[in-house]
Amino acid sequence: MTLWRYEARRAGPAAVLGPPLAVALGVAAAFAYPEPSDTTTARILLGGLEMAVPLAAAVVCSALIGRDPAREIQLAAPTPYRITLLRRMIVVLAWTACVAALAAAVLIATGWWARWPQNHGLVAGQLTWLAPTVGLSGLGFAAGAVLRSPAAAGAIVTTVWAIQQFFGPAVQEHRPGRLLYLFATTRGESPAEWTANRLTLLGAGAALIAFGLLLLGRAERLISEEDE
Amino acid sequence: MTAFRASVRYEFRMQVRKRSVWIVPALTLVLFVLIGGSLLRDLFDPGERPLDPRTGVVGLAVQLHALLSIGFGCLLADRMVRDDRLGVAPILDATPASPGARLAGKYLGAAAATAIPIAVAYFGFAAAYAIDIGQQVAMAWALAAFAVVIVPGLLLVAAFALAVPMIMPAPLFRVLFVGYWLWGNIVSPEMMPTLARTLFHPLGGYPLDALFDFHGIDGEDTWAGPVAGATLNVLRPEPTPALAWLSIVLLIAVSAATLAGGHALRARRIH
Repeated sequence: MTLWRYEARRAGPAAVLGPPLAVALGVAAAFAYPEPSDTTTARILLGGLEMAVPLAAAVVCSALIGRDPAREIQLAAPTPYRITLLRRMIVVLAWTACVAALAAAVLIATGWWARWPQNHGLVAGQLTWLAPTVGLSGLGFAAGAVLRSPAAAGAIVTTVWAIQQFFGPAVQEHRPGRLLYLFATTRGESPAEWTANRLTLLGAGAALIAFGLLLLGRAERLISEEDE
Repeated sequence: MTAFRASVRYEFRMQVRKRSVWIVPALTLVLFVLIGGSLLRDLFDPGERPLDPRTGVVGLAVQLHALLSIGFGCLLADRMVRDDRLGVAPILDATPASPGARLAGKYLGAAAATAIPIAVAYFGFAAAYAIDIGQQVAMAWALAAFAVVIVPGLLLVAAFALAVPMIMPAPLFRVLFVGYWLWGNIVSPEMMPTLARTLFHPLGGYPLDALFDFHGIDGEDTWAGPVAGATLNVLRPEPTPALAWLSIVLLIAVSAATLAGGHALRARRIH
């Protein structure tokens, strides 16, 4: 427990502030302007959960590797360094999940959740934020493990997120793109494939985290020259 | 002056040799080609490409600028805070080189180096397109678009990326920056109040409209000027060439002010 508490503190202020800020910005975007219909407002509110929350979590996860000043000490500790990093990632994702679930509960209680027709229910609908958060965070963690540079890993996460934003229809033209599309709830073009999309994202996220852990098992990669 | 020149040279060489400065834009371009529908492919498809070489290269500038600037900003976000983290900042502060000159050098050197892959990609694709359609004038338009549309936008992004991580963690800056980039450039003003299509538009709406007469690849988009029923229309006068230059000056002035703010903040922390 002491270790968990320590890792929670070590995750940094960005991990604490990111998700609530993402939710707040999503709500501000939805209510900043009188929308033509409640459906549009509800779509932006759910979009905040599906777009902003995963981005905040993933960029923090991409910055986990490469922050410890004395990595040699971490590598010599009884707890393997990759387990420490995994623990930090779990802390980040758990906090993100708390914030997102609370925001979703408020949306459900106020009726905004139901006003977006493709909400996919109260329980399965939670995959709206969970699947892209795990998928994109997995990408961030793996990119961090490969590049060992928070700047580069963060750049990759934000770029993948932005490509899917800017070119939503083009990304979804083919089946692989549709299955890996992060925003299938609010901008999905094929509602029938929603469940497959969410499960693919969860699977891809888990696979990328496993890949990252595998790479981090090679300690010499972590003490060799890093891309500052 | 010597300190400035030395900083530019050192920061440039340090940054241009970083593998990630090349890996990130390369991966972005690979993803971009993979998804299809982008100009990277359409420019070489006789059935899809625009007939006018100017529309072709300016459209390419918009797409690459919108996308590659994100990696550009994220990669630069650790430059300023890195000196403190590695403990070299106090050593540099102890030298006779003025902090202002060092900051300006870091800004221009690191930004120029990070922009090199963007320039290589842009001019590479533009040259291939110019050869493919047999119209060399496309390269002249590409040079103009790079100087007038891409460079001012990148200068603004670089200034934010250097200064803002001094007041918040770099990962948080990356999240807010990409959010801002989407909101302030792409979001439709009819949907929510946004700075997109105003005079302060890093994607260069006014120069695109008034200097290049660019209205999207198919000629149906509007990049600047008032939008019926939108808020902030006071910042969206009818586009003219003079206003286009003003919008460029505005981007550069905000960049300078942001850097000056970062400099003042750093100076206060030292004392």
